[in-house]
Amino acid sequence: MRIEGAAVAGIGMVRFGRYPERSGAELARDAGLAALHDAGITLADVDEAYVGYIQPAAMVGIKAMKELGLTGLPVTHIENASATGLVAFREAAWAVASGRAEVAMALGFDKMTDMARGAPSRGMGRDQLDSTILPAAYFALWAQRRMHDHGTRPEHFAAIAAKNWNHGALNPLSHRQTDHTVTVDEVLASRMVAEPLTAMMACPADDGAACAIVASTDWVQRHQPDRRMVRPIASALQSEAYSPGHTFLGPVVGPATMTSTTARLAYEDAGLGPDDMHLALCHDAFANEELEYYELLGFCAEGEGEKLLDAGDTALGGRIPFNTDGGLIARGHPGGPTGLAMVHEIVTQLRGEAGARQVEGARRGLAHLVGGGSVCTVNLFEAD
Amino acid sequence: MGRVAIEQGYFTIPDDPAEPPRLLGSKCPRCGEHFYPRRLVCARCLHQGTEAVLLGPTGRLHTWTYVHVPLFAKKDGSVDAYGVGQVDLPEGPRVQAILVGGPDDFEIGMELELDLETLSSDEDGNDVVIYRFKPTAGSGRVA
Repeated sequence: MRIEGAAVAGIGMVRFGRYPERSGAELARDAGLAALHDAGITLADVDEAYVGYIQPAAMVGIKAMKELGLTGLPVTHIENASATGLVAFREAAWAVASGRAEVAMALGFDKMTDMARGAPSRGMGRDQLDSTILPAAYFALWAQRRMHDHGTRPEHFAAIAAKNWNHGALNPLSHRQTDHTVTVDEVLASRMVAEPLTAMMACPADDGAACAIVASTDWVQRHQPDRRMVRPIASALQSEAYSPGHTFLGPVVGPATMTSTTARLAYEDAGLGPDDMHLALCHDAFANEELEYYELLGFCAEGEGEKLLDAGDTALGGRIPFNTDGGLIARGHPGGPTGLAMVHEIVTQLRGEAGARQVEGARRGLAHLVGGGSVCTVNLFEAD
Repeated sequence: MGRVAIEQGYFTIPDDPAEPPRLLGSKCPRCGEHFYPRRLVCARCLHQGTEAVLLGPTGRLHTWTYVHVPLFAKKDGSVDAYGVGQVDLPEGPRVQAILVGGPDDFEIGMELELDLETLSSDEDGNDVVIYRFKPTAGSGRVA
């Protein structure tokens, strides 16, 4: 079903990075206040909130919300692994589109550096066999199989990583900032993590927060008459569909068809196709993923991703720029706020406020995330 | 002193150390689909009530990688690099596991066999074991 009558009224985020001296609630507060300020409101105007985070403790989200005020509003916690932020946004968008709320907030935050240091995490106490293998390995398994099937070379993965590092350098809110143009050779020469993936092909472990406020289009027209309105128009969410050879044990990438199925549903809901998009943000926790998603999101045929990449079509200035804000690789990937950073970038681009990385004439954008190898969400946005 | 599994319910530990372990799987009596690990509801036809079966001990390597950081979750901190693979069992399931061997020992499509590796010992002096896959004799990487 197409999302009707909802628009993004405000965005805010804390640049992803390492914040050993700051709590997750403080980061969430600052992102929330930035979004409220961008919308020109306070929490008193918010009818409902969805708070997303991956960190394991219970009720962390509602505690963070109290930093913004105690107004009695309904607060719901959302956790869908890496997809958390976009799923929180999806719920806020539908709360408004359904008429239940006039203004809804989606807030995401996480401190991945705490989890990386070995603080109690969801993984501990789970099936031990389930937590034996480094996350990079599952994505490397996918990359190795693609190299076998399509003749893809590590240089292709490195080219995607270099592109996203260089996009990040144009985004003041990107965690990773370089003072030079990152090259394919530099990415290939960085530390090998899981063959063929090197450290520079992987996202960092970082902290951060991001927030988006959704309101009815009537509300936004009334309160923000001079700003270009950006509307969520479709949001598809899928979990895995069984097919023979499914891998159940161990964190895995999940079936690739999950992304193609979810994208098809989103396009159908919107009555649009990949050719109608002007930029895309995808789950590039590891560079080989982005190559796969060119195809699975429908931007080229299967096995044609390398051609799209080599032609420069997915870089800024190309036909369909991917991860214009640096993606997970450069902008960062704390977990809960990642999807809301994507919303932040798409809204900034569609408002025409992206500065040096502005996609000229961008009117529609796509945001994709997978979570835990078990869920996928594809969200489409349109500007007037 | 004997051998105990790192976690119960996933694999057998044969009395004879020379014998490979088997994986504890399920078979749907209605559609015939096999699963690892065991599950009650058939994921293919949603029949409720699968049968317990043993799977393996051999399979074909679907894809693999070699990881250059210490073994995740500190199951074996002495290992600083290791292979990981997805192995297609003849019954159908695809199993993800640690591989035995060096970075030049693997090739997609090769035959592998289940193997038990000792990780540590428990307080009763038993060896704590986990399953891995190793290339079968004669299935070494084609030169």
